[in-house]
Amino acid sequence: MTGQRVQCRWCKSPNDEGSAACGTCGAPLGGAQKISDSGWREAPRLRDLTEIRFGASMIQVDGEIVPVADITLGDGDSVFFEHHALLWKEERVALHAQSTGGGLRKMLGGMPFVLTVANGPGRIAFSRDGTGELIVLPMGPSDEIDVRGHSFLIGSHQLTYQFERIKGLKNILHGGEMYMDEFHTAGESGVLVLHGYGNVFERTLEAGESILLEPGAFLYKDGSVTINVEQQDLKTGVFGGHSLWLARMTGPGRVGIQSMYHHHAD
Amino acid sequence: MTDSTTTTSTTTYTCRWCRSTGDGSGVTCTSCGAPIRVAEVTTASGWEKLPPIPDLARIQFGQSHVQVEGEFVPVADFTLADGDSIYFSHHTILWQDTRTTLDALSRKGMIKRMRAGMPSVLASATGPGRIALSEDRPGELIGVPIQRGSGIDVREHHFLAATSPVQFEPLATNVWFVTGSGDDKETHYPLGQYIDRFTSPDEHGLLLVQSGGNAFMRDLKAGETMLLKPPSLLAKDMSVQMLLHLEHPTAAGWTSARANRFVWLRVTGPGRVWVQSQYEHFEDPGTSLNSMSNHTEQHW
Repeated sequence: MTGQRVQCRWCKSPNDEGSAACGTCGAPLGGAQKISDSGWREAPRLRDLTEIRFGASMIQVDGEIVPVADITLGDGDSVFFEHHALLWKEERVALHAQSTGGGLRKMLGGMPFVLTVANGPGRIAFSRDGTGELIVLPMGPSDEIDVRGHSFLIGSHQLTYQFERIKGLKNILHGGEMYMDEFHTAGESGVLVLHGYGNVFERTLEAGESILLEPGAFLYKDGSVTINVEQQDLKTGVFGGHSLWLARMTGPGRVGIQSMYHHHAD
Repeated sequence: MTDSTTTTSTTTYTCRWCRSTGDGSGVTCTSCGAPIRVAEVTTASGWEKLPPIPDLARIQFGQSHVQVEGEFVPVADFTLADGDSIYFSHHTILWQDTRTTLDALSRKGMIKRMRAGMPSVLASATGPGRIALSEDRPGELIGVPIQRGSGIDVREHHFLAATSPVQFEPLATNVWFVTGSGDDKETHYPLGQYIDRFTSPDEHGLLLVQSGGNAFMRDLKAGETMLLKPPSLLAKDMSVQMLLHLEHPTAAGWTSARANRFVWLRVTGPGRVWVQSQYEHFEDPGTSLNSMSNHTEQHW
């Protein structure tokens, strides 16, 4: 007997027919995607207690308002994270620190210069401190995803991490962040889990296609998407003017945004 | 809670939230986005819970429309026709396409707003093009159609966007009290120093308001009053009057000198009042009062 396979509309992974959610990204299977008139598709709302598998491990999504990534790590599997996203863990889960390089520069930029790694077997859970959605981004071999600082929740051990200083974005991205997290895979697939504040939307830009974003709304992008900051002046007569900074994202590739953000200081 | 199902007719439909009329043939009200066929939820105390605008619902204005996206922190995604424009506080921009023209809007009351710590610059966006706005807090978007010659008062920092026919003016709330004396005098504004009045004198307009948390509405009869926690007020009809109200709980012995007073906002109908369930805390220092705006008082 051969069962039919169902493709996930969000991450394109195949799933067994009858599955309620995609085993790779957690998106509910069945039902239409929600796409706005302007072409943004809403990130799938992961149902409470949805399970996502990677390697010998499993992520269960707990809750809906400030969701928790509750991870059962298989023996030999590990995840890395920023330590302040840790919610709880079993005693047997071993932790170790991993330098990300650029310690002083990152510290001055308000970014973590040490990532913490949790090694299985055992259970450990993570959450961010705001209303929002978990976004699970499966990564194939030789893939790159760039994420705004302080937005990733965990990366699986197949991913490598580095950061990039964003020239011209100093004090433009929320909180004066100067760095963007870059996640790469080499020969193996892995999974990256983000926390988006508020609701999350994604669109795929064609090659050369551009969209202007409030920099604070930027959440993630494919490595192929370029980002450049543009200044727009709003003239107010005798009161002078006001500058508005927008980020021009140019395809090809995916861009993800979040609807709740803190406006950058001008 | 009591539930009752809204009855609609394809010829007589009147949206109970915005009072616009239509043929009732769609899923949502084209003027405010509220669901048409929804069980009305009225609390035992008489507040009507505003039904959230359904995800991806559209609200039409002129040749343009706004689509509401998301549920935690909803996005107002505008498709602006050629020549149509909206205005908004510039910090709410989420994204825009490259065709949309942005400009600054010079408005009466700019000085007053600057003094009150409000955004002095309002931006305008003119079509053709698309632009999306969102606030940075969870809550509900409320579409408020403003008929020609009418208006509404909105608590400061809660207006998301308005269409160009809608005029805007900050008005003093006249709800305040002063504590301390001499050089230590401090003036407190439980509701904020200003409230934003939006009117549409010449033609129909649309206003979008964002609540903190959930929003509830009640329609006060003439002379009917309610006491509200001042920061919970989200909006009111222009006909609703506001007054400071102080309440002193009874206390005995040494506690009498330390008993808290309660600072309320007295709203008096006729007209609609909207409240929100999440709001910033107003800190009353509890020290002796020096002076205050017109008020009522209750000593228990």
